[in-house]
Amino acid sequence: MSAARPAARSIFSRRLAAAVSGPAPSPLLAAAPSTTRTSSLSSSSTPAAAATAPPTCHQFHSSAQLNARRPRFKNVRAAEMGLVNDKKIVQFTRQKFPRYSFEEMAELEKRYSPEQMESLKAGEFAINPRDLTVQGRLRTDPYRMPYIDDFSDIQPIIDRRPRRQPPPDPMARFMNMDEFTNDLVEWAGKFVTGPVTGNLKKLVDFVPKEYKKVAEGEWPGDVRDRARASFNAYIQAAAARGAKGDGDMAARDSSAGSPTDSDILEYILERSAWNDKGLNANSSLAPALPNKVPGVAGLYKNAIDPDDKGMDDTGIYQDLKRRTGMSVQEIMDITVKVLVRRFVTNQTRLGKVQSTAILVIAGNRNGWLGMGSAKSTEPAVASEKAKLLAIRNMRPIRRYENRTIYGALEEKVSGSVVQLFPRPPGFGLRVPHRIFEMCRAAGIQDLSAKITRSRNPLNTVKAAYEALLNQIDPDELARGRGKKLIDVRKVYYGGAVY
Amino acid sequence: MGINSITNACAHLQNASKARLGLTSLPNNKYNLRLCLALHRAGFISSVTRGGPHPPPADQLLTLEPEPVTNENVATRRLWLGLKYWNNEPVLRNVKPISKPSRLVTASVDELGKVARGFQAGHVKGLNLGECLFVSTDRGVLEVREALERKVGGLVLCRVSG
Repeated sequence: MSAARPAARSIFSRRLAAAVSGPAPSPLLAAAPSTTRTSSLSSSSTPAAAATAPPTCHQFHSSAQLNARRPRFKNVRAAEMGLVNDKKIVQFTRQKFPRYSFEEMAELEKRYSPEQMESLKAGEFAINPRDLTVQGRLRTDPYRMPYIDDFSDIQPIIDRRPRRQPPPDPMARFMNMDEFTNDLVEWAGKFVTGPVTGNLKKLVDFVPKEYKKVAEGEWPGDVRDRARASFNAYIQAAAARGAKGDGDMAARDSSAGSPTDSDILEYILERSAWNDKGLNANSSLAPALPNKVPGVAGLYKNAIDPDDKGMDDTGIYQDLKRRTGMSVQEIMDITVKVLVRRFVTNQTRLGKVQSTAILVIAGNRNGWLGMGSAKSTEPAVASEKAKLLAIRNMRPIRRYENRTIYGALEEKVSGSVVQLFPRPPGFGLRVPHRIFEMCRAAGIQDLSAKITRSRNPLNTVKAAYEALLNQIDPDELARGRGKKLIDVRKVYYGGAVY
Repeated sequence: MGINSITNACAHLQNASKARLGLTSLPNNKYNLRLCLALHRAGFISSVTRGGPHPPPADQLLTLEPEPVTNENVATRRLWLGLKYWNNEPVLRNVKPISKPSRLVTASVDELGKVARGFQAGHVKGLNLGECLFVSTDRGVLEVREALERKVGGLVLCRVSG
């Protein structure tokens, strides 16, 4: 509120602009002693104000300083300078936060609805201008936010889209035959105008009074027959009248009394076939079907995909296929290796529950590597779960010349520190065996590694995985520094060193 | 020339980068100025502005005319440095002083050549991907590759990486 307030007022008077472009505000702004430092900064652009400002230490950053820091020199208190007595505060408040004048109120009433005016007045009433003087802080430094908004406009990027229509009716369904007929009659009734024809009569209008409130099925047979006969006669007569009048009617005004082609087209294309009275929606999309359609849920099972060529009859790879977009053959071609197997025990009040925790890596031997871990009481289940997770988690890793890494890497997980070093072509993988398997799965051929400190299997694998995954991009590095990066190995000997 | 101001500058630049500051300042002296210009040449900082105790306006970082240095204001002059960020990460992240007031480390051209190729030489470890080494020579403060171009060695100041 305090931020938007001066902005809203600047609509009428240019006070805000004057406050910014004119001389800096007097040190009165810092009526509270805790903001003395700020005032000395903001007012230092005028020599006179700088002379009166209390001595402070220099600001060596452009960011706003914390109030809690202790100044190097004792501040001259604003009270001692006579700046925070009641008279001065009232004077400053009147000057800086004046009440709306009658002209301003009249102008506001032209712009805002009565409800908005009510809330504006309530807001004005809620905040004491004296509090703004004593507790508020007007920023005048060059880094203040350009914040001018009275929230009257909807900005599509910042604000939520207004939902003007009520939510869709959850019970809506397609109309049945009777509802459809009534809807059609209602639509057609719109076009019949004037005293000559009036609205078309319905079947109900041809039965005696006592049956008018009774449903059609409960009418006695003879009453129904008579009513239908007279209704048909009436309809035919009306149609004949319409046909006879068509010639001269068309000459005068073809649109009067009957729907035009565009009306009919609009009826076909746009009239809602639902029984929700053509309720408009907030979205142009139709409301989605519920998750479980009653009567259909659970009736269908996934058929075996003929594309799999019989490799996945149990369906364990179907979910993976959908997630990754790979075929079952491609999934089977991925190198998967169990690196860590641990037997863990959960002590419950019923006894010990043994399970197996398994860590698996997966790679396509061409720059992609994934890691998955799972736990189950059945070792086979745990291993299967971990393999699927590892394939799901496969990510590309950065390789230099598709054989080694770009620079030395170091990663720490818990107590294990893994260091990886790039090596020249033909060096081979001189690394611990778990990292060797990871390199083979990822397609790295030249590497050396050190595991300093703890050699915990789980943590070393995790650390190596993190290190390989989070390599910096040399191109991005160069772009950040505004440099051009060239690999000299690709320059000398016509680039034929690879 | 004492090396204190350089070690202080290293710590300060690293702190300012961790705090994600846009603009920070160092005491204005010749050593700092030369290091800042070398950092600027290497692309680690975006601007070096000579100013007073208050930050220069954001739109005048490159064009500000410094007020003349006099005996009265010389102690309050600062160097205002614009820090760079790319993809939400600081361009200059680690600044590690190598020479300290308690131990000055010098390197000959041969040693600098080894270091630039990634091998250790004496007290100086080899450079990794994206690392820069700044050396104070009789041609001013130079990045290690600039020093090798000019075939000069000198006092190894600090190691900088993103």
